[in-house]
Amino acid sequence: MFGYTCKRVFIGILSLFVLVTAAFFLTRMMPGSPFQTGNVSESVLTSMEEEYGLNEPVFKQYATYLSNLMHGDLGISFKKPGVRVSEVITRAWPATAALGALAIVLAAVVGTLLGIWQASTKKRLVKGGIFFSTMLGTGIPNFVIALLLMLFFGVKLKLLPIAGLTGAENYILPVVSLAVYPAAVITRLMRNTFQEEMNRDYVVLAKAKGLSWRRTAVTHILKNAWIPVLNYIGPAAAFLMTGSFVVESVFTIPGLGREFVNSIENRDYTLILGLTIFMGVTVIGINLLTDLLCAWLDPRVRRAYR
Amino acid sequence: MSLLRVEDLSVQFHDKDRRQEAVSHLSFEVCPGEIVGIVGESGSGKSTGMHAVLGLLPEKAEVACERILLDQREITPPDLKLADRKAVKAYERTMEAVRGNEIAMVFQDPLTYLNPTVKIGRQITETIRAHKKCSQKEALEHAEELLDLVGIRKASQRMRQYPFELSGGMRQRVVIAIALACEPKLLIADEPTTALDVTVQGQILELFKKISQEMGTAILFVSHDLGVIASLCRRVLVMQAGKLVEEGTVEDIFYEPRHPYTRKLLAQASKLQKLPENVKAGEPLLRIEHVSKFYTDIGYWKKQEKTEAVLDVSLQIGRGETYGLVGESGCGKSTLAKMVTGLLKPTAGRIVYEGEKKRLKYPIQMVFQDPYASLNPRMTIGDILEEPLLLNTEDSKEERLRKIEELLKLVGLTLEDAQKYPRAFSGGQRQRIGIARALILEPELLICDEPVSALDVSIQEQILSLLENIQKERGISYLFISHDLNVVKRISRKMGVMYAGSLVETGSTKEIYSDPWHPYTKALLSAVLVPDPWKARRKKGVLHTEEKKVEVPLGRGCPFAPRCGYAMACCFTGRPDWYQFEGRKIACFLYSEEHAGRRSGSMKMTSQI
Repeated sequence: MFGYTCKRVFIGILSLFVLVTAAFFLTRMMPGSPFQTGNVSESVLTSMEEEYGLNEPVFKQYATYLSNLMHGDLGISFKKPGVRVSEVITRAWPATAALGALAIVLAAVVGTLLGIWQASTKKRLVKGGIFFSTMLGTGIPNFVIALLLMLFFGVKLKLLPIAGLTGAENYILPVVSLAVYPAAVITRLMRNTFQEEMNRDYVVLAKAKGLSWRRTAVTHILKNAWIPVLNYIGPAAAFLMTGSFVVESVFTIPGLGREFVNSIENRDYTLILGLTIFMGVTVIGINLLTDLLCAWLDPRVRRAYR
Repeated sequence: MSLLRVEDLSVQFHDKDRRQEAVSHLSFEVCPGEIVGIVGESGSGKSTGMHAVLGLLPEKAEVACERILLDQREITPPDLKLADRKAVKAYERTMEAVRGNEIAMVFQDPLTYLNPTVKIGRQITETIRAHKKCSQKEALEHAEELLDLVGIRKASQRMRQYPFELSGGMRQRVVIAIALACEPKLLIADEPTTALDVTVQGQILELFKKISQEMGTAILFVSHDLGVIASLCRRVLVMQAGKLVEEGTVEDIFYEPRHPYTRKLLAQASKLQKLPENVKAGEPLLRIEHVSKFYTDIGYWKKQEKTEAVLDVSLQIGRGETYGLVGESGCGKSTLAKMVTGLLKPTAGRIVYEGEKKRLKYPIQMVFQDPYASLNPRMTIGDILEEPLLLNTEDSKEERLRKIEELLKLVGLTLEDAQKYPRAFSGGQRQRIGIARALILEPELLICDEPVSALDVSIQEQILSLLENIQKERGISYLFISHDLNVVKRISRKMGVMYAGSLVETGSTKEIYSDPWHPYTKALLSAVLVPDPWKARRKKGVLHTEEKKVEVPLGRGCPFAPRCGYAMACCFTGRPDWYQFEGRKIACFLYSEEHAGRRSGSMKMTSQI
């Protein structure tokens, strides 16, 4: 298990290196310069580029960037003078992470419960209703959901605030609109795996032991049915916790997603790179965590890694 | 007074528009403490009936029953058409208290019936705690006692393990321990030994006898195997196509069967008891010389671990001959087969094929074990048979069709069947298709890897005689691999016994079966159950040894020595050589010159044990 973890961390670092390299050269391939705006004269542009080291050969820039990165330095933003990239991240991430984490927890709970309900009920209406909702949930883009929620709860009913992140009630609408899609996917996954596991022989043995259906479902089926679901939840959590531009824009939340899109528009090379690396680390870390969690749940996987 | 009384039980399955009656009007009773056998072919409804008694059938099954009484209490399932939900709920509540507590069940495949992600201990204690008020600690102590009772040593250690970490026999013991957790009055065993090796089967049957004697538990034993029924049961019910056709004491059923179906079953079983004739060896077609196969596991930081799947095996298969290879699961039979076909490369040694190499690109073909999994469900039979021809020959369309027709006829199918998909066929028919597929390139050697293990006894016989007829007609050779000693005896004239990757005894089938020499062969053959209650009772019980996963000790010593009752000091320190006596070869120190004495010219070796 320890060996496996080390191997995964090593592979993670390797893929991070590939990510940095690709992102670095891609930003340099973008046409134009970060300092090019309408009223900047040619000479000022050159001197600015000189100051930030952009006139040097690309490979030299790359080497400098890498060596800074090794020391944990993500550099200074090109567009916000004097602001370090790490400062941008520490400022923007907590909101994003909180939203994402709440959304994935909500999605996991709702999705699991709905999935089990859909798999085990005999009522056709319930089955069909849940099926229809999951279709809607996966089909409607999240900004539409966000706008509809905003319109209904915020504007019409005036129950919930529609912008900013000042109090607890501000979280409700963005979290719900982020959670709808993963919740729908988890419901579908859960229904499938639960139904599959329900027909396994060990369920018959559990029944023959005299266990009630509820206990069988909780202690036997759920443990096995959750493993595939977990494999989806991991990447989904990584995705949500690195920020959603659309939802953050709709609810005017100062999060990572907005920073990222803005940085690309501004050709803010260091900020793009810094955010990319940060997201990469998050995704790789959460995926590793998911795999370890799977191994913890499934002894067969654990044995295979030993 | 009866313990369980079932009156007029019927079960129907619904498929869209088809109605199938799995059990019809079944009535029987079980008295306290007796062992009742239910025998019948697969699909005769014996299992379905037992599941219905406990209410374990899926909802699509329609159960109708006059009455089921357990100890004078009613546990009749409600009629789904008439009953309201309240009655169903009430029934479920009574059954929750009955299942596992008063009637417990043991199933066929211990691997799939144990939850793979829950520890053994937990799977036992939850039964105890479902029916008795006690703390987890008390339940664990009781579970340990149970594991001890069913013959699992180091119980406390085993409780922390997961099902996949145990061997097949051990898993079945765990399932039995779960069933015994609340000391039920009745134990329903549904083919509990079918998935196990013969020697393990013997041990599990002994365990059932012990349970019935010591705990006074009544056992309802479902099996298709007449040998098992004869050696265990007092009373037998015979089922055919959902109906009870005959009922009586074991002696009545076996010695004076009245119903024609019972007679047919017995005739099939006794057919397998006959010994084959000796034949002269033909010229060799395939020589396997000192072949070994090692697997190495590469750990991340740990040392490489070497597993010997096959170790130093030599044998010869003659033209037109059937060579039988027997051994327990995991002994390396299939690995050897794969090396012969070329699917695996041997680590050491060589396999020499002496046949006509030039004419035939693929002179060796294989028939697989599972006829359900080995045919592509999306290809028609015609496509399946044509594919090898398309890949390896330049036959014209007409030529290919002619060959397909010829082969389908040979295996007892018609040309019309070529249009159908595999799902249209039964297990036996699919295996015929598998044989036709293997034969279409006209091989000289056919490797049959457990070709009849997945089939019913009566179908087994059909496939075996088909193989025999094909051999007579085409003169091809078979390497016939099976764990079932009866099957090997039925078809092969020469055979080899494998244990833990090595051959231990080879010779003619007749000689080995009538007089086994190697201690392992002897143990294996004594575990075969004869369908004859008197003989079965006279048989000595198999020695109780804790069976473990077959592991080869690297290099040193005879692999069987740890389990052998005749092991000497030298058995643990060195591997025995091959000792040859006429047509018979044996790898055991009991037959060495040091032990059996000097050989003179006219000496005749006899069994040393």
